[in-house]
Amino acid sequence: MLLSSVALADSGVGVDTWRATKLDPTAGAAVEGCDERGTWWLVPGQRRTPTGNLYPCPPASAPLHERGDWTYSGVLQLGYLGTGGDDDAALWNRYAFWDTGPVLGLLSVDAERAQDGSYAKLRATRVSDDDQYYQLAFGRAGSYRLQASLRDISNVLSANAKSIWNGVGSNTLTLSDGLTPGGSTPEQVAAVSSAAAERTLKVKRSKQVLGYSAYLTPDWSAYADFSNEQRKGARPYGGTFFFNFPFPGNGGVFETVKPIDDSTMNLNAGLRYAGAAWRLDFGYSGSFYRDANRRYTFQTPYALTPVVPNAVSAPLTTGQMSTEPDNDYHNLKAALTRKLPLNGEFSLTASVGRMRQDDTLIAPVDCRGVFGIGLGGSLQLGPHNPFLYDCAQWNTPAALSRKSADMQIDTTLLDARIALQPTADLSVRGGLRFNRDDYRNGYLMRNPLTGQYGYVSENGSQGSVVPGESGIWAPGADARNLTRIRSLPLDLQTIDANLGADWKLGERDTLGATFAFNRYEPTNRERRQVDSSSLKLNWINRSLDWLTLRASLTFLKQTGDRYDYDPYEFTWSSSLPGFIAPPGGVPAHTVEAMRKYDLSSRDQRKANVMATLTPREDMTLTASLRGDWNDYDARIGRQGYSTFGATLQWEWQPTPRTQTSVYYGYDRSRLREANVNELNASGVDPRLGGLTYPLAGRWWVTDTQRNHSAGANLRHDFGRVRLDVDWNNLYARGVTAYSYASSLALAWSDTVPNDAAGSGAFAPMRYRVDTLALALVIPIVERVSLRAFGVYERGRVDDWHYAGFGTGRVIDHRVYTDGGPQDYSAHLVGILLDVQL
Amino acid sequence: MNVPTRLCFLLVAALAAPRMSAAIEWIDLRGAAPIRGDAATGAAKATVCVACHGPNGNAVVPAFPRLAGQRADYLYWRLANFKRGARPESVMTAQTANLSDADLHDLAAYFAAQTATKSPLPAMPSARGESLFRDGDPARGTPPCQGCHGADARGPADSRFATWPALRGQNADYLAARLKAYRDGKDAVSSNEFVMRGVARSLDDEAIAALAAWLASHSP
Amino acid sequence: MPLQGSVRVASRCRRGLQAGFLAVVVSCAVAWLAPAAGAAATDDAVAQALPVAPGFAKAKVAVNPNAPDAKPVGEATCFACHQLEAEHFTHTLHSLGLHAANKADASIPVCETCHGPGSQHAQAPLTKGSILAYTKNGGTPIEVQTKTCLTCHEGGPRDHWLGSIHQRNGVSCSDCHNPMAKFSVEGSLARPSINDTCAQCHKDVRLEFNRRSHMPLPEGQMSCVDCHNPHGSLTGPLLKTNTVNETCYQCHAEKRGPFLFEHAPVRENCLNCHTPHGSNQHALLVAPIPFLCLQCHTQLRHPNDLHTPQSLATGAHPDERIMGRGCITCHANIHGSNAPAGPKFHE
Repeated sequence: MLLSSVALADSGVGVDTWRATKLDPTAGAAVEGCDERGTWWLVPGQRRTPTGNLYPCPPASAPLHERGDWTYSGVLQLGYLGTGGDDDAALWNRYAFWDTGPVLGLLSVDAERAQDGSYAKLRATRVSDDDQYYQLAFGRAGSYRLQASLRDISNVLSANAKSIWNGVGSNTLTLSDGLTPGGSTPEQVAAVSSAAAERTLKVKRSKQVLGYSAYLTPDWSAYADFSNEQRKGARPYGGTFFFNFPFPGNGGVFETVKPIDDSTMNLNAGLRYAGAAWRLDFGYSGSFYRDANRRYTFQTPYALTPVVPNAVSAPLTTGQMSTEPDNDYHNLKAALTRKLPLNGEFSLTASVGRMRQDDTLIAPVDCRGVFGIGLGGSLQLGPHNPFLYDCAQWNTPAALSRKSADMQIDTTLLDARIALQPTADLSVRGGLRFNRDDYRNGYLMRNPLTGQYGYVSENGSQGSVVPGESGIWAPGADARNLTRIRSLPLDLQTIDANLGADWKLGERDTLGATFAFNRYEPTNRERRQVDSSSLKLNWINRSLDWLTLRASLTFLKQTGDRYDYDPYEFTWSSSLPGFIAPPGGVPAHTVEAMRKYDLSSRDQRKANVMATLTPREDMTLTASLRGDWNDYDARIGRQGYSTFGATLQWEWQPTPRTQTSVYYGYDRSRLREANVNELNASGVDPRLGGLTYPLAGRWWVTDTQRNHSAGANLRHDFGRVRLDVDWNNLYARGVTAYSYASSLALAWSDTVPNDAAGSGAFAPMRYRVDTLALALVIPIVERVSLRAFGVYERGRVDDWHYAGFGTGRVIDHRVYTDGGPQDYSAHLVGILLDVQL
Repeated sequence: MNVPTRLCFLLVAALAAPRMSAAIEWIDLRGAAPIRGDAATGAAKATVCVACHGPNGNAVVPAFPRLAGQRADYLYWRLANFKRGARPESVMTAQTANLSDADLHDLAAYFAAQTATKSPLPAMPSARGESLFRDGDPARGTPPCQGCHGADARGPADSRFATWPALRGQNADYLAARLKAYRDGKDAVSSNEFVMRGVARSLDDEAIAALAAWLASHSP
Repeated sequence: MPLQGSVRVASRCRRGLQAGFLAVVVSCAVAWLAPAAGAAATDDAVAQALPVAPGFAKAKVAVNPNAPDAKPVGEATCFACHQLEAEHFTHTLHSLGLHAANKADASIPVCETCHGPGSQHAQAPLTKGSILAYTKNGGTPIEVQTKTCLTCHEGGPRDHWLGSIHQRNGVSCSDCHNPMAKFSVEGSLARPSINDTCAQCHKDVRLEFNRRSHMPLPEGQMSCVDCHNPHGSLTGPLLKTNTVNETCYQCHAEKRGPFLFEHAPVRENCLNCHTPHGSNQHALLVAPIPFLCLQCHTQLRHPNDLHTPQSLATGAHPDERIMGRGCITCHANIHGSNAPAGPKFHE
């Protein structure tokens, strides 16, 4: 257990296993050049891993110094970074916030005391306020380790955001000067939007980690890791005041800016025992999420207009968006393993967990006065105005059936597995696993102030545009309204079983077969039982000195019980006594032929080949092929999803002074889906080809994604100077093609000349990035060298979602904040003075 | 100046600058290409050599190494190092100064092709020497010599290690002198000799004498 | 051992007592957290007699089935020929720990803990298998290699190694780890980082992280091992937690909820809509919105229409159902909503 339990973090539990930045993702290993003397004096070159990859040349480590009992070595890299070109671009800065200014490339100090194996390690890098880490560890090899770290990282979500609101980053978005809530024209909003300064929306994560692990005895060890992470910033988000597309000059569709201000505490602690016959592993994981905001609000600049004549819409001006609730999570896990005769092991794991949140609920709507539609031009509440509602009855927590969420999921996992190796050539294994999520509680949407059921749809806007679509149901006048009245509890249960064997056919080949069965039983879903069975065959070949081949084939078949296309009836008002169905009946929930892909019957075939070849002693060739083909039994829904990929990589290490590698990767995925548009928006016939969903309404989409990746790397030590060149390229192209049975399928049938079947495609989605990185290490005097480096990157992005946003982000009553992904050409140059301490 | 141009400029400037890091000052014999020489041509050039190293390289003076039957690759690299002047001043440095690289190849081929004769010097079998050669001395950190020099001390059979010498029947005084030089950190300029430096560190005078005597006591 | 430890803790606590409350807390904490070294730091007499670190108590000469008659020779013999390796090894945690253990208890070997007894190898180094080798053609079977490492490293994160996908595919510890030199700053890896190590075989997966939206792995901010345990776990894809979602919640705790209103596929599996490593869509989505959503949503009225480029801002009918964020412009809280007015994730 020595390494992982005293290494940076545990490979079995928790995150934070690596701390580095894009400046040096190896966190310092790349700083050391190769030891030009090689690995050993006896033979040239490097050995190979058992799979056949070349081990790299050993690093030329920094010189060791002695001070008392301790020896230490260290590296300090200080310098300056300059960025240029489109260096504000989101894709350039995401997770690596380059900035012009002084930079701490690396401070690394390793100290150790040979006498008892104690050590202390310090590592730090600071690129900018948004990209830095500091880490200190102290311990004794084989005894204990204590460590603490700080880390900042930013996710840049948009660098070209234009907000029509003030208060970005806060929980109150108010319209900028010049805009009147509920009273602005699209032209006015467009003017404010285009005049707004472009700004960067990012979320910064700041994390503090404390970790401890120790051997208590040779058999017992313990660990405890605590982390606290704050997220601060803002990101583009949604916001709705009803459709605009069917009602020009009406509704409101907003890309708002969500404030991010939360913290998460994680705690992992455990006790482990590894004895001669038994092993035990007890662990606790806890997570505590706290959000500073419960909601944020935004003002709408637009007025709403009723779709009925002689009526007036309530003057709504404020929308709200709930944020994620605070939540607590606890998990206890115990694993027990017993060694068995026949070189076997039996292992039993039990884990119970609880996710819980009981956040105070926000009011159903944030409005003053009334919402809904006033008939005859009157916004007076009363029997003459059946579509008008009193905000006071809905804008308070008193309007809720309970004040807090009180939601909980209890999880249970039981896993038993056995592996036996009766002979050196045969091993057999089997496993059983039971996993269950019990969803506790539900929420009935009933307003105790009014006795009404349902909710206020879209900040009150829907019912303020369309009479009867407020989202509220009550016996009497509102008894025909079809609306959601209940939450959807989702219990899940999974049982897995597998049985397999591996045979060694002599020294060279190993054949294996595994049969696996999975039964998935969700509640309140279209199927109550989904079964899948799979057979996986694998083959390993090490027949030749120059080859390791691993191949596998998997065949999987998924079926299930009867597919109920509408299991959600109980969450709708139609399930309430007193509901009055429309004369023709309740509209069809969806088409009967829909098969949601997580539950649909499916045939899957997978193939995987990995080969490691050694054409020469100093070369390695790695090739992989991977295919995954899924056919779904769905007339409507996902019909197929296949991926295929291949990679080829060549590595050459002729001498410790020269290493080079070249790779190419290709990857293709194809997703096929079918859908159907309805003939009659209130149709009741769920059959595909029936009155509501005629065959003429069908349409199909095939989304094909292709990725070509290529790159080359050269590292050469000229003696006077060490050169590192890295080139990486990705060219991704995605094409979304569609076809339709007739123009009935289309959102906008007037855009095609006739009613006939047709097809077309969206402009390709492209993402192309070329990165060239160059670094030179120039020794100046002993232990001091200069590291000069440059990165040039060019990114080209086409995403049709944002087509036309360049000419304006306000399109009628739609307001977009983010301009979409940007092309960029940016570069970085840096100089670091590299001092071996 | 744009960035790539600037970087290119920097690269050129750096390459043109005087070499500042320590150059490799040792000879890497790992995977050295096999040498080819002409024994017949070498014979003509060997007349000076035999003065000290004896007829056909079968030296009778105990301090001089016996060359007959030694591995050509070993002989060549030994000569090449004398010529480079890499070793401490030796009588051989002057002897090789006027020889061409081709001469060294030929000489090496010549002596390798000669038949070694049993040394006329008195054999002094040593049980301790034999034990060190066969098993080493783990207590002192001495590895067994046979691991690299072959169970019969004729050098390793594997052609990858052609630069590792045969020891069998070599003159004892010469062997002892070499081992002492290794032990004392002298006379190590090639990767092979670095290995020997580490090995000899564990040997004291008595062990060296025992090993040298035992090796010398065998017929080549 | 535990008894000795508690005596030491008690004595250090007492020393702190004389120096005030804070000192008590600090010295007790240090004594408890650092059972052995804490004592060594203050008491040279104890340091001289420092016991073997418990993590090295199981270190012994490894068993080499291919050289049953071999005898241990000790590290000095090994280092005689392997000086360069010894020098590189000095910079590793294994070297630090094994040497300290060897000082405390001479019966704990250094090299031979992992490589087995060296006598036969020293006599005939070219005989394959005469020494435990962790290489492709060294003559030591993979199972013997892994078994040797597990002598000390059994259990904990490697509890489920036996039967794991890597074990069954003949992957050896030394495919990923090389403790002979400091190739990586942490983890005794065979390559400079965890990500580089995994990419030796999983280059295709590594390339997925170069896509337009991705987890911050190429930036060095996270590693494969944040989500996966390569040593075996309770799940097929070697996840560190019980389920996909639990793995995601480790960093995305806000998505854990449970929410007042749930979106079934979200609660079921994040991978219903997201790819785990990277995608060319926004936010690691599997397919472009709205077609991602329309795989399941055929409901009457607005969801089930086929959009064409005519619905884009450049088309005849700009339509919010497909422009920009598409569906999630209005159904913004798509991961679940805690708003009482959020059953359709509008708020």
